[in-house]
Amino acid sequence: MRLPSFEYLEPRNVEEALEMLAGHAGRAAVVAGGTDLIVRMKQRLAQPAFLVSLKQLGGLNYIRRENSLIAIGATTPLVSLRDSDLIKTHFPSLAGAARLIGAPSIQHLRGTIGGNLCLQTRCLYYNQSPFWRSGRPPCHKDQGKICYAEENSDRCRSANQSDGACALMGLGAGIVLSSTRGTRSLPIEDFFTGKGESPFAAGPDELVTEIRIPVPGNSEGSSFQKLTYRSAVDFALVSATAWLAVEKGRISRARLVIGGAGASPLLLKETSDKLVGKDVHDKHAVEETARQARNHASAFMVDNLGSTLEYRKKMSAVMAKRAVQKALDRCLGNSSVKGRKSQEDQKS
Amino acid sequence: MKKIPLVLSVNGEEYDIYIPPNRTLLEVLREELELTGTKEGCGEGVCGSCTVLCDGFPIRSCLTLAAEVQGTEITTVEGLKNEDGQLDLVQQSFIDRGAVQCGFCTPGMLMSAKAFLNRNPSPSEDDVRKGLSGNICRCTGYTKIVEAIMEVAKKK
Repeated sequence: MRLPSFEYLEPRNVEEALEMLAGHAGRAAVVAGGTDLIVRMKQRLAQPAFLVSLKQLGGLNYIRRENSLIAIGATTPLVSLRDSDLIKTHFPSLAGAARLIGAPSIQHLRGTIGGNLCLQTRCLYYNQSPFWRSGRPPCHKDQGKICYAEENSDRCRSANQSDGACALMGLGAGIVLSSTRGTRSLPIEDFFTGKGESPFAAGPDELVTEIRIPVPGNSEGSSFQKLTYRSAVDFALVSATAWLAVEKGRISRARLVIGGAGASPLLLKETSDKLVGKDVHDKHAVEETARQARNHASAFMVDNLGSTLEYRKKMSAVMAKRAVQKALDRCLGNSSVKGRKSQEDQKS
Repeated sequence: MKKIPLVLSVNGEEYDIYIPPNRTLLEVLREELELTGTKEGCGEGVCGSCTVLCDGFPIRSCLTLAAEVQGTEITTVEGLKNEDGQLDLVQQSFIDRGAVQCGFCTPGMLMSAKAFLNRNPSPSEDDVRKGLSGNICRCTGYTKIVEAIMEVAKKK
């Protein structure tokens, strides 16, 4: 299918890009790799009048350490995260998520971490061809007044299926947004609105330029787990990421996030806090965490992805359990044998 | 829609074209340059049959705007053969091993395989399956394709 008409803009640097976005605010879309946007344009789910290409903004492709932070440029390709020693060592969950996005042939040049973070929320009843959608009135996300996923829902119930966003939320990343008005940094929780119709807190003139993640200590570990039908080129039916810190044989800090459930990755603060203080070998605590994760995630899930709702709810517990257990293993691995990497980390 | 001038380098040849900006690389390859070896399957980036190489890396030509690849070197299946007209080792191996049935996924498979082997000269079978996981074949069950690629790796 042909793409709709648009004017193609190719800024030479970030400043020029921001000026274009400010000048055409609301009518312009940013294209980094286009693996999400171009599909949505073909399906007429997005019809921007201007397309601002980030092709020439080479300055946004980097992974570097800045004191206690690791800064990642927004147009860094997924393969760089997947293969970076810095990322693999400190953030195995992020390296793992990057490896699971699309397929190697998408991760090389076109798939970027900034693009994946800004992946639009998805729904079985929305991400369809114009012909498919033309059979009935438009849904909330399509500027209509109806939801096909949840009867009588007064709002859009689409799901955030971005693996990168889920992993980054687990790591407590900060998102740097730039515009001609200046630069601001948001905790990743505030970058998402939780609303299916407009999932991001960024203004129409703002550009995600950088992702900043605090460097973890030695006895910290993270893991990302994703449930899909296919092993590649598939979105998460449900996913989970855990980031844990261990001190003196007990969990000292925890962040558990469920993806593919609501319009934002769900940071389960209460459930995470209950893990704090638990012995690292306390299997019962992990089971209990998984059960709570399922309860919380279930409240956000509706039947809007390519699998039954009951299965996704059940599997949210399994994903949470695997993520916590794997993160714990990595915590212990990191503290006992420094720099030891599991087999899973090394595969790419 | 205002047309834009574009210089594309495909299989070592430069093409000066004048196209509307909403044309994907796949559309330009097939309709403007008449390089119909590259196939459109799903058109949504899922199946991989439109895979071409951009500076040696596989990309989905159906999701890539032609304007986005100006200044890079594009290789399509037509550009795989050697200068003397001989088929590339991967192409020959696909034929020898019977890794082709209906043939529609084959150009994409060949391009992904070529890029994969350039970076992984001695892969395991598992590596090959992972490396080609972005390409879907509905006929062969992949066995012959994996065998063909492993054979090229062994020859090198």
